[in-house]
Amino acid sequence: MADVVLQTINLTKEFTKRKGLSSPRHFFDKVTFTAVRDVDLTVERGEIFGLLGPNGAGKTTLTKMLCTLMLPSGGSATINGYDIVRQQNQVKRSIALISSEERSFYWRLTGRENLKFFAALYGLSGRAARSRIDEVLELIGMAAAADRRFQEYSTGMKQRMALARGLLADPEIFFMDEPTKGLDPVATRQLHDFIRDELVRQGKTVVLATHHLAEAEQVCDRIGIMSNGEMKACGCVSDLVGEASLIEYFHLLIEESRLEQ
Amino acid sequence: MMLSKPLAFLKKDFLTEISYRFAFFLQFGGIFFSVVMFYFVSELIGDAPNVQRSLSEYGGNYFSFVLIGIAFSNFLAVGLGSFSSVIRSEQMIGTLEAMLVTPTRLPTVVLSSSQWSFAFTSLRVGVYLLLGGLFFGVNFGDANILPALVALVLTVIAFSSLGIISASFVMIFKRGDPIAWALSTSSTLIGGVYYPISILPDWLQSVSYFFPITYSLRAIRLSLLQGAGFDDVGGDLLALVVFSIITIPVSLVIFRYAVARAKKVGTLAYY
Repeated sequence: MADVVLQTINLTKEFTKRKGLSSPRHFFDKVTFTAVRDVDLTVERGEIFGLLGPNGAGKTTLTKMLCTLMLPSGGSATINGYDIVRQQNQVKRSIALISSEERSFYWRLTGRENLKFFAALYGLSGRAARSRIDEVLELIGMAAAADRRFQEYSTGMKQRMALARGLLADPEIFFMDEPTKGLDPVATRQLHDFIRDELVRQGKTVVLATHHLAEAEQVCDRIGIMSNGEMKACGCVSDLVGEASLIEYFHLLIEESRLEQ
Repeated sequence: MMLSKPLAFLKKDFLTEISYRFAFFLQFGGIFFSVVMFYFVSELIGDAPNVQRSLSEYGGNYFSFVLIGIAFSNFLAVGLGSFSSVIRSEQMIGTLEAMLVTPTRLPTVVLSSSQWSFAFTSLRVGVYLLLGGLFFGVNFGDANILPALVALVLTVIAFSSLGIISASFVMIFKRGDPIAWALSTSSTLIGGVYYPISILPDWLQSVSYFFPITYSLRAIRLSLLQGAGFDDVGGDLLALVVFSIITIPVSLVIFRYAVARAKKVGTLAYY
């Protein structure tokens, strides 16, 4: 039986807000928006799974729920066997979140100082932390620049530091939310190579959220296509490409999503 | 191991603070000018009979009185404001989610992030007292340090519980926290920072006994200026303990609710 590390059952996220000034007569009435609707998903250990969808499809909301940053409105999900609502601390020990957000570091500190700080938050300290930091810096090719202030790094270097931070605690699952946003083609390829060569070699599981079809095709073993909060299709890249034109289908979804917005 | 996370926060905040060297040292310049200004105000009003009479409990010297008032009211500002400003600052910098995705609980993040503010405020208060003692003739010769330290610790705990309630507002409403604003302005107005509460109308004096700063400043002034012991300030310390016993559980319940709500509506990292 396959070793499942991520499973969601009818996972749903609704946001509710008051109509407010947009409809003064119904100021206190509430409107509900479903960002993620009844998502069923299974990801196996060592797999690279792509969450593909246009902007606003619900990829980031789904990722945030799985990373315990947001509570679901319905359904359930487990990461590494732990419930994302009731066992948040165990879930956090199993995951790393790597986003394209450059501002998730302290820019006045050096790269190494940043990693030392986050290593402590992962429970690493002293010699163990120092040696792990050296190890990951070497792995991502940032050892020489580690003692420069974070604000002096290029976008590509900042993204590599985000990867280094994710590697610190040696987690089972890497959630990557549009990790190549803002990267040039060379840096993008290096990141793809790192995912395919290094993380796969280490037996890690990767959930990659992207709106680039080509990226999903190149890097992922399986893809889930999301649109308007729903999982429209899910399967191996080769199967999806074989069954129908994946590109056509994806573009159709983008159009549909635009029309609904 | 248990302390490694709080220490990491302290180190990170210290490194960030000293990376802005000019601002770091400028703050001490601000303390100097504030002390000098109140010294001259004191020279102006110092010998007036009504001033002597109002301050007789504390030794009769206005400068000594106000120096301790302005120095220790810094803890009021930090206790009330640091937790909420930490949350807001981490939300704005963009580091809050990065921290919360690690196996570190939000209360640990908030409490540890505020350590530096308290440590730095202690340093600032030390500078106030040092300047007053060395250059402006404040006599700490009879000071009874231990009751003053106990009063200080209780003060920090009491103010912090109010600060945690204030942080809960920031967690949900992001801006416009009414708790910190109301408590800070009214504490400064009627808590005895710049003048003794004995000069306030009777009804306002009664109101001032609902504010922890009234007890804090009284206990600290009596200990440092008059050498008062635990027997003399026991009532004030007890009031601070009772205040904390009531507000700490309330603040933690409110904070837990605020975090759960922010996670539910998905606005944890919004600002």
